[in-house]
Amino acid sequence: MNSGTIALVGNPNSGKTTLFNALTGSNQYVGNWPGVTVEKKEGKFEFEGKKYHVIDLPGTYSLGAYSEDEVIASDYILTGNPDIIINVVDAGNIERNLYLTTQLLEIGKKVVLALNMIDEADKRKIEFDIPGLEQKLGIPVVPTIASKEIGIKELIKRTVEAMNNGVVTKNPLRYNDTIEHHIDHLTKALEKVNLPYPARWTALKLLEGDTGIFQKLKDYQYFEALKDIEDFYKYHSQENFELEIIDSRYAFAHWVTEGTVHRPEEEVITLTDKIDKIITSRYLGVPIFALIMLLVFQLTFKIGGDILGEYLASIIESLGGLAETFLAYINAPGWLIAFIIDGIINGVGAVIEFIPIIVVLYLLLGFLEDSGYMARAAYVWDELMRRLGLQGKAFISMIIGFGCNVPGIMSTRTMDNQKDKMITTLIIPFMSCGAKLPIYSVFIAAFFPNHGGLLLFLLYALGIIIGLIMAKIYSKALFPGKSSYFIMELPSYRMPTLKNILRNMWDNVYGFIERAGTIIFAVITLLWVVAVLPVSAAPYSEFSILGRIGTFIAPLFKPAGFGTWQEAVALFAGIPAKEAVIGTLGMLYAGEYLEGGNFLVNAIQQHFTPLTALSYMVMTLLYTPCAAVLGTVKKETNSRKWTIFVALVNFAIGWLVAVIIFQIGSLLGFS
Amino acid sequence: MLKEILRIIGREGYISRPKLAAELNISKVLVDDGISQLLRMGYILEDKNGEGCSSFCSSCSRAKACSKEVVKTFKISEKGQRLLQASS
Ligand SMILES: Nc1nc2c(ncn2[C@@H]2O[C@H](COP(=O)(O)OP(=O)(O)OP(=O)(O)O)[C@@H](O)[C@H]2O)c(=O)[nH]1
Ligand SMILES: [Mg+2]
Repeated sequence: MNSGTIALVGNPNSGKTTLFNALTGSNQYVGNWPGVTVEKKEGKFEFEGKKYHVIDLPGTYSLGAYSEDEVIASDYILTGNPDIIINVVDAGNIERNLYLTTQLLEIGKKVVLALNMIDEADKRKIEFDIPGLEQKLGIPVVPTIASKEIGIKELIKRTVEAMNNGVVTKNPLRYNDTIEHHIDHLTKALEKVNLPYPARWTALKLLEGDTGIFQKLKDYQYFEALKDIEDFYKYHSQENFELEIIDSRYAFAHWVTEGTVHRPEEEVITLTDKIDKIITSRYLGVPIFALIMLLVFQLTFKIGGDILGEYLASIIESLGGLAETFLAYINAPGWLIAFIIDGIINGVGAVIEFIPIIVVLYLLLGFLEDSGYMARAAYVWDELMRRLGLQGKAFISMIIGFGCNVPGIMSTRTMDNQKDKMITTLIIPFMSCGAKLPIYSVFIAAFFPNHGGLLLFLLYALGIIIGLIMAKIYSKALFPGKSSYFIMELPSYRMPTLKNILRNMWDNVYGFIERAGTIIFAVITLLWVVAVLPVSAAPYSEFSILGRIGTFIAPLFKPAGFGTWQEAVALFAGIPAKEAVIGTLGMLYAGEYLEGGNFLVNAIQQHFTPLTALSYMVMTLLYTPCAAVLGTVKKETNSRKWTIFVALVNFAIGWLVAVIIFQIGSLLGFS
Repeated sequence: MLKEILRIIGREGYISRPKLAAELNISKVLVDDGISQLLRMGYILEDKNGEGCSSFCSSCSRAKACSKEVVKTFKISEKGQRLLQASS
C-alpha cells in the first residue's frame, strides 16, 4: 500500500539523488556535475510502518518549457500528482535555488524544503535563520547533509507530517496590479475548461509567453478558453510581462533571504571592485596601461632578447657553420652553398632568431589577457576614445591587431555601424603586429641594446597615436555620423592558468614559424635568384637585377636617411610578409663577410646610424601593410579603391613620419 | 533585480558582475542568472566577437589565435532601451 508519493525537486547538483539514495537505501548513480539524472527514478521507503514512494527528478532551475529537464520535472509535478514535494536546495546557493521554490509554491502543491549541503555552507560561514525561513516561506525547512545521511530522519518526519496535516500551501507571491488583473482575467477564461493544470499557474505561464503551454491548450482543444486567450494576445502588448513576472520571483526570493541568510562579504567581489576603481579610473587608467606595457616590453627584451635570444642565435650560427662544412665536404655546387648559407641561414635564420622575443611577449600578453586586465585596458581606452569622438570598440580590434592585423580587421565584422567598421579597418594597419618584432629587434640590438623595452614601447605607442590621429581625421573628413554604442564586460580578475597562457603563446608563435617556413622562405628564395643574376654581375651587388631595381627606387628614401638599394628592396620585400624585411637584409648583406658577433647586427651597424635606424623602424611600423592585410581590407570593404587607398596613404604616412624624424633629428645634431 | 541589473548596465556602460553583485547586494551566481535571463529575453544582446575568423580563414595559420574573444561585448536592445525609458 502506498501511503503517499514524494517528489524530489531541485536545481541540478543540489543532492536530490544522494537524498533519494539516503531515503530509499538504493544506489542510484550520483555525480558531481549537473544533469546526472536525466529521467525520473522511483523508489520506496518505510516510516512508522507505512510505505511511501519517492520520485527522483532531473535537476531544473525553473518550471517551464525551455529545456527537456524542465519539461520532465514540471510535467511530473503538474500531472503526476505527487502528494508532496521535497524541494532540495543547495544551501550555499539558496538565493538562486529559491527561484524554483517560488514556482513550486505558486503551483499550490505541498512543499518541504530540504536545506541540503549545509556542511558546505557552514564551511563558507553562511548562517541561516531556519524559523525565519519557515515563516517567510510558509513551509517546513529542514537542514540536511544528504551525503552523510544527517537530518534525513527529521526530514522524513516533517514531510509525512506536512503531507497529512491538511494545511494548504499559500501562494506567497503577488505581482503588480496590471499583471494580477490579467492573471484574473485569464484564470476566469481557463476555469471554463477542465484543465489538468492549476488555472492561475497556467494563466501566469501564458502571460510569460510560454508557447509550450499555449500549444498544449490547442492540443487539448480547449476552444472556449483559447478564444479568450487569443483575444487577449491581440489586445495587449505583453512586452515586459515575462520580465516583470520573473523579476517579482527574484524579488520574493530576495525578500525571503533578507535577514534570514547571512553570508560573510565575498573577498573576491570587494577586491575586484577596489582594484577596478583604480585601474579603470579616468585619469589613472591610461597611464597605468602605459606603465604595464612598458614593463611587458622591458621584460620581453631582458628575457627574450638578452637571455634566450643569445642561445638561439649561437645555435643558428653553429648550424650555419656545420652546414657550410658539410656542403663543402660533399662538394656541393657553389650556387647551392650560396643559396643555403646566404639565403636560408642568413635570411630565414635571421627571422627565426627572434622567436624567443615573440615567445616572451605573447606569454606576457597572454598573462594580461587571462588575468582579466586586457578587458580593463579596452574599457579605459573605450572611454578615452569616446571622449575623442571615436568608437571605443576599435580598441578591442586594435588589441587583436597587435598579434596580427588580419584578425584585427576581421573583428570589425561585429560592428554594425559602417562608419565604425571603416575607420577601424583603416587604422588597424598602424598597430604593430608580431611579424614586425624581428625587424625592431635587429635594429635595437644594433643600436639601442640597453633601451630595447623603452624603444619597443615607443614604437607601439607611436602606432596607436598615429592610428588615433588618422581615426579622427577619417571620421571628420570621410565618415561623418554617429558611432554606435556598446557595452563591454569586465570579467572578474583571476589567476591566469598556465595552459591558457601557453596556448595563447603557441597560437601566435606557431603562425610565425609556419610563415618562416613558407612565405618568408619563398620570398627570400625569389629575391635570392634575382640578387645573384645575371651571372655576369657580382652576386648581391647593385649590378644584379635586384640591385638595379633597388638603385632605381632608393632615392625615394634619401630624405628619410636610408637611401641604399638594399634597404629600399627590403622594404618592398616586406609587403608579402613583414619578416622578409629582415630576411632580405640578412641575405643581401651576406656578401660582406663580417667577423664576430651576430653577423646581421654587425652589418646593420655598418649600414645605418642610430638616427637612420630609428627612421627605418618607424617606416616599417607605419608603411603599406602586408599582402594578407591588404587582401583582408579588400574583402571586408569590398572595394579595390579602399585597398589601394590603404596601400598608398599608409606608405605616404610612413614615409612622412620617417622623414620628419630624420630631418628633425639631423637638425638637432643627432646622427 | 532584472530591471536593476539592466539599469546599472545602462548607467555604467559596462558589465562587471562583481560590481553588480556588490551594488545589488546579491550573490554572483544570481547576477549570472539575471544576465542570462536578460539575454534570453532579448533585453541585452551579446556580440559574437569570436566568430569573425573561424568561419572563413580556417586555413590561416593564425586562425586559432584570432578566433578567441579578448573581450565580451553586449548591446542593450531596443526592447531594453524601451524598458529603461519607461522605468526612468
Ligand atoms: N558536502 C555535501 N555534498 C553533498 C551533499 N549532498 C550531495 N552532495 C554531493 O553533491 C553532488 C551531487 O549530488 P547528486 O545527488 O548527484 O545531485 P542531483 O541533485 O541528483 O543532481 P542532478 O541529478 O544532476 O540534478 C555529489 O557529489 C554528492 O556527493 C551534502 O549534503 N553535502
Ligand atoms: Mg540526480
